[in-house]
Amino acid sequence: MKIVAVTACPTGIAHTYMAAARLEKVAKNFGHEIKVETQGAMGIENKLSESDIRQAQYAIFAVDIEVEERERFNGVKVIQVPLQEALKNPENIFSKLQR
Amino acid sequence: MLESLQKLRQHLLTGVSHAIPFIACGGILIAAAIAFAPMTASGPDFSNAPRLKLILDIGTAALTLMLPVLAGYISYSIAGKPGLLPGFLGGFLSGEVRAGFLGAILAGLVAGCVVEALKKVPVSKYLRPIMPILVIPILAGSLVGVLMIKVIGAPIALFMDHANRALMSMSTGNGIALALLLGAMIAFDMGGPVNKAAFFFGSAMISQGNYQIMGACAAAICTPPLGMGLATLVRKKLWTLEEREAGLAAIAMGMIGITEGAIPFAAADPIRVIPSIMAGSAVAAMIAMVGGVGDHAPHGGPIVLPVVDHRAAYVLAIVAGTLVTAILIVSLKLRSNGIAAEKQKEHA
Repeated sequence: MKIVAVTACPTGIAHTYMAAARLEKVAKNFGHEIKVETQGAMGIENKLSESDIRQAQYAIFAVDIEVEERERFNGVKVIQVPLQEALKNPENIFSKLQR
Repeated sequence: MLESLQKLRQHLLTGVSHAIPFIACGGILIAAAIAFAPMTASGPDFSNAPRLKLILDIGTAALTLMLPVLAGYISYSIAGKPGLLPGFLGGFLSGEVRAGFLGAILAGLVAGCVVEALKKVPVSKYLRPIMPILVIPILAGSLVGVLMIKVIGAPIALFMDHANRALMSMSTGNGIALALLLGAMIAFDMGGPVNKAAFFFGSAMISQGNYQIMGACAAAICTPPLGMGLATLVRKKLWTLEEREAGLAAIAMGMIGITEGAIPFAAADPIRVIPSIMAGSAVAAMIAMVGGVGDHAPHGGPIVLPVVDHRAAYVLAIVAGTLVTAILIVSLKLRSNGIAAEKQKEHA
């Protein structure tokens, strides 16, 4: 399954990137293809392109703040969780997808 | 080349779209306060109207925030979150050194490019977390700060000084040439150093008993927002919804003599808008000068009509200047739209 994700926390210097790394790792274990965009203090990095989003079955928002340019994700199934969820039990997020 | 120009325009528009509410809110509040205060020979009088003064102060605060917001979001559009601090800082300083909205645009562009370059500097992963919240803001902020205060600010002060002397020496010569120059100066940067140089000269001449210079300035002050507002009304299709709303606010501000109402248009499309409003204001100033209009208050626009000599000529000057600006900007926009459509045809 192709998945896109966005991570963002208020400070945007550590948890944003840790969560992105966790999601990438766990997604691989589940056999998913994932691309994670970080919206940290540096601004948007590893930005999801239009075709990334169009091809994805799901978008995961692991965020504690508002997602920037959210309108890009119109028409995609979005699952939004607190950022802590992606750090503590990311497996939960992915098992939600399969059901 | 074309692509980078479009990118540039996109960054400017991001800044403008965030700045419009500040201009509209600040401008309208100031306009309302001035409209209800008695107009005297020393300008609107707030000494007996504490409530109007309060409204004026709030409006002034909103309008003061416009420059930081404009520069901040231009920079944000280029460089994302780390661009905000140097952009806001540069925009604020642009107000402090009286560099106006052109200074703010420059500050925003420079801030954004500097931050974007700093983001690409390779650093060890232990330093990486402090880059966006410490290193980049301090470096880029200091750089933009030095640029605004030392490189931009000092020459502006010098320019104001020289401009005043040059205008003074012209005041005994050809009145029409002086009026054309003053009108163009008023419109050029709408509240920036060139505008202020002309305005201060006009108000300084009032105290010397020469009311005609300020009369020419007063007519020129209101035609940029009035002309742009009129243009959005007569050719609705040329403008976005946001611009049409800014157009209505601009008309209200124009009536009260607040040139800043045209800034949203000029910042979004300087190449076409600034010449159009300069021509309109120059025509208005010239007609006012020829018609012998004198203005006893250091303020402009239709609102000062009670303290103006030769009122019919004053109204004529404003109407003519407004029409010139509106006709010029509409035809320039139509022409460039036509060229764009042709290019598209070629591509297809």
